[in-house]
Amino acid sequence: MNSFASRYFTDLPKTALSASYWIFVIYLLLPLSLMMAMSFKEASFIAFPIQSWTLDWYAKVLQDQQFLGAVGYSIFIAVATTVIALIIGVWIALLVAAEGIWGRAMIFALACLPAVVPGLINAISMRIFIRVLDIPTGTGAIILGHTVHAVPFVVVMVLTRLRSMPHSLTDAARDLGADNFVAFLRVTVPYLAPALAGSAIFCVLSSIDDFVRTFFLGGYQPTLPMLIFAKVQGGMSPEINAMATIVLIVTAAVGLYAEHFTRRSKA
Amino acid sequence: MTESRTSRPGTAGREAAPRYRGWIGQVTRSPLYAGTIGVLAASPRARLVLLVIVPLAWIVTFNIGPIYQMGRISLMQTYPAPDSGAVLTLDNYRLFFREPLYFMPFIRSLIFAALVTVVTLIVVYPVAYYVAKVIRPQNRKRALLLLLVPFWAGEIIRTFSVIMLLANRGALNYLLREVGLIDRPIPMLYTYFSLSFGVVYLIALYMLLPLYSAIEKIPSQLVDAAADLGAGPFERFRRVILPLSKDGIVSGCSLVYLITIGVFTAPLLLGGPNTVIFPEIIAALFHASNDKWPAGSAFSILMLIVSLSTVGLFMKLVGGRSVRLS
Amino acid sequence: MQPVVQFRNVNKLYGAMPAVADLDLSIAPGQFVTLLGPSGCGKSTTLRMLGGFELPTSGEILLDGRDITRLPPNKRNVNIVFQDYALFPHLTVGRNVAFGLELKGLRSDAIHRRTMELLALVQLGDFADRLPSQLSGGQRQRVALMRALAPDPDVLLLDEPLSALDAKLREQMQIELKSIQQRTGKTFLFVTHDQEEALTMSDVVVVMNGGRIEQMGDPHTLYASPRSRFVANFIGQSNLFEAEVMGLEGEMAVLSWNGHTVRARRNGNSPATGARVAFIVRPESIYCLGQTPGDAFAVPGRIGQRIFKGSHTTLEIELPGRQNVTAQLDPQALARLDGDDVLVGWRWENAVVLAD
Repeated sequence: MNSFASRYFTDLPKTALSASYWIFVIYLLLPLSLMMAMSFKEASFIAFPIQSWTLDWYAKVLQDQQFLGAVGYSIFIAVATTVIALIIGVWIALLVAAEGIWGRAMIFALACLPAVVPGLINAISMRIFIRVLDIPTGTGAIILGHTVHAVPFVVVMVLTRLRSMPHSLTDAARDLGADNFVAFLRVTVPYLAPALAGSAIFCVLSSIDDFVRTFFLGGYQPTLPMLIFAKVQGGMSPEINAMATIVLIVTAAVGLYAEHFTRRSKA
Repeated sequence: MTESRTSRPGTAGREAAPRYRGWIGQVTRSPLYAGTIGVLAASPRARLVLLVIVPLAWIVTFNIGPIYQMGRISLMQTYPAPDSGAVLTLDNYRLFFREPLYFMPFIRSLIFAALVTVVTLIVVYPVAYYVAKVIRPQNRKRALLLLLVPFWAGEIIRTFSVIMLLANRGALNYLLREVGLIDRPIPMLYTYFSLSFGVVYLIALYMLLPLYSAIEKIPSQLVDAAADLGAGPFERFRRVILPLSKDGIVSGCSLVYLITIGVFTAPLLLGGPNTVIFPEIIAALFHASNDKWPAGSAFSILMLIVSLSTVGLFMKLVGGRSVRLS
Repeated sequence: MQPVVQFRNVNKLYGAMPAVADLDLSIAPGQFVTLLGPSGCGKSTTLRMLGGFELPTSGEILLDGRDITRLPPNKRNVNIVFQDYALFPHLTVGRNVAFGLELKGLRSDAIHRRTMELLALVQLGDFADRLPSQLSGGQRQRVALMRALAPDPDVLLLDEPLSALDAKLREQMQIELKSIQQRTGKTFLFVTHDQEEALTMSDVVVVMNGGRIEQMGDPHTLYASPRSRFVANFIGQSNLFEAEVMGLEGEMAVLSWNGHTVRARRNGNSPATGARVAFIVRPESIYCLGQTPGDAFAVPGRIGQRIFKGSHTTLEIELPGRQNVTAQLDPQALARLDGDDVLVGWRWENAVVLAD
């Protein structure tokens, strides 16, 4: 009764729609599955068909200091980015949500700017900016670039949650004798928890995935995407596939867990 | 919602120091807290300053600052400016219009982005519709998740995986050869085909999600009503579903267009000498020595202005958010 | 006259659950017919099957003598007013009303004329250019009605269209609906769970329960001669008495109730002598006398509760044998009472034997 398809939908459009969905699913999954399959190929070059299979590439990758170093470096940058972006993002969201602040709409629009500017321009402008401020490329610059990009998404997610928060909550806290900062810590932050969790996962994943900003802001130490990119440029072997497969599975696991988590907290 | 949060009378908490258990209590009772944040939190004015100063500083410094610097450098003849002081000039912008080597890729980029947007819309719309309305509600989440999983792989990995499919010794050519349709591989990589394939692969999600949420919001009763009044499947789509999913179309297309115009990874890995689009030109200018930075900045500014105003115009023409479902 | 709508042995199963069972129903043209019943009784499913939104599991549905069972909604000349109106939010009031006309391929000036005509009929001529979101609930209701009437359907279906309105507006709309139905001469098939609504507007009321028709007839017959306990309880209030049959006497049954010999209309039933049956008497048919019974039938009772209802007063009267009777008295009758001890009775023709 609540589906368009209930009864009068003739079979033809329904079949066509369902076909388009499955073709699209195949389109999305096929290249990644091919890539994963290739990681088991027992030969040092990438080409179909795959005649014999091996796990050697995984063994090699898991002992590769360069790879492990890049993993650690990427995680470090992601964590730093997440912490800073959450603090700044919540702060901006609070300002935008506050009443009686002049020009709130403008502030919000400007806060979202880095999310609207095409990624390349965002990266290049940051490159210019750190040069002007004499900040060297490398870890600090990457974290800054990732954070600037992540903050707008945090703002939007936190703001959505903040707008649904009943005023009575903080008012009640203040009636009970909390000063504003304490009321914020005891009432607002717990209420924001689902949005904070969602934002954190977004920040981590987008930082680990980021290529274009890291490309322009990075130093000599490669992050994961930079390492994979360098390997692709330097001649391809199934080793890259093994590397990418490991990264893909871990991020997908995190993503699936996050999806599960946010769905539970919504219920 | 006009009730002011700061003008509550008597802020009782200040005279009777609040007692909390746990670490928050310890912190609030400490002289350090009372002397710093406690003071700030107690005074409405200090609170306001605290609330405003950090966000504003952040936004001005890191959101506006870089664009401003880029704009400033785009007006310089050389960068870094010589000791004698910077000479401001529009030469970098003139260069763009004079030199087809720069101008043509820009046009190509605009057309490419527009085409990719249209193709993505046409490809993704039925998929979004299927998930939002045809699938039984209890299966919807799972069907959507299946589409989301590939997007947890990063940009680089997804782009790289396209190579597996399209390379000369990739899966598609292998398959075609085995079937006997071709003798020698069709070069698909490093062409517009591979580039668009990869870009659509990168951005489909940004079309899918807005479309899905817009279509899902359309009450099924409206479609029932249209059918009841004599509309067949096509008329139901044209007169009801399409106009009511306009919000999703507008935001999906805007997102996809903006991302495609600045796409960087895909041309790097999947593009060839014949598919040079504007982002590559800009990136190359920044990779070269500093003396190309002013031109690169000017081109970036042009691209920013053109892409944002195209999207703005599009939103204005198609009129997003004009219809609200009550 | 040929019925405009016919359901022939229609069944609808949801899984194994029958929503509509063995439905046979004919609707004569030009009538205001109401499907009445509690939620889940199958009335909405019946309507949706006629509208083309549900496919019957078996049986057939005829419109003007033509089998339409399997036609999609857009191919049947039947229009529906939805419960929450389902007005198109992106179209103006005028375009909403014109929607069905445009799809019929009429010329634009004809469409415009008919649209304005219909809107004028409900005093909304000046609202043609507004969006539905700018209208009040009652106005939306009227637009939805006119939109459904515009393509000139053979039958107009109304799916609890008044349930979203407040009580006062609902009453007003009941009158308006009835008058539009009379003026246009259309067949209306109305679905509701509100018995008062059904009685107010309908020529024919079809009472449904558990997917089946309990009873069908004009409002007066249903009220005066309910056939089953369900109908008696669902339409109006009633006092239900259990009695033993002593014999039949023409249209009347002679019953033994609480040691009294009483009579009640058989209402088409022919219970065997000695059988237990139920009969009902409506509260307004109960009379209360002072202490002198005269020669009318009366049994002693004691007033338990008096509930003032404005035009009348409802009395809860306890009879011997722990039986309670509800009586509805006008002020004059009430004034004649003296104290709480009363004699209670009713006229034989106001008592009706039920089938179950």
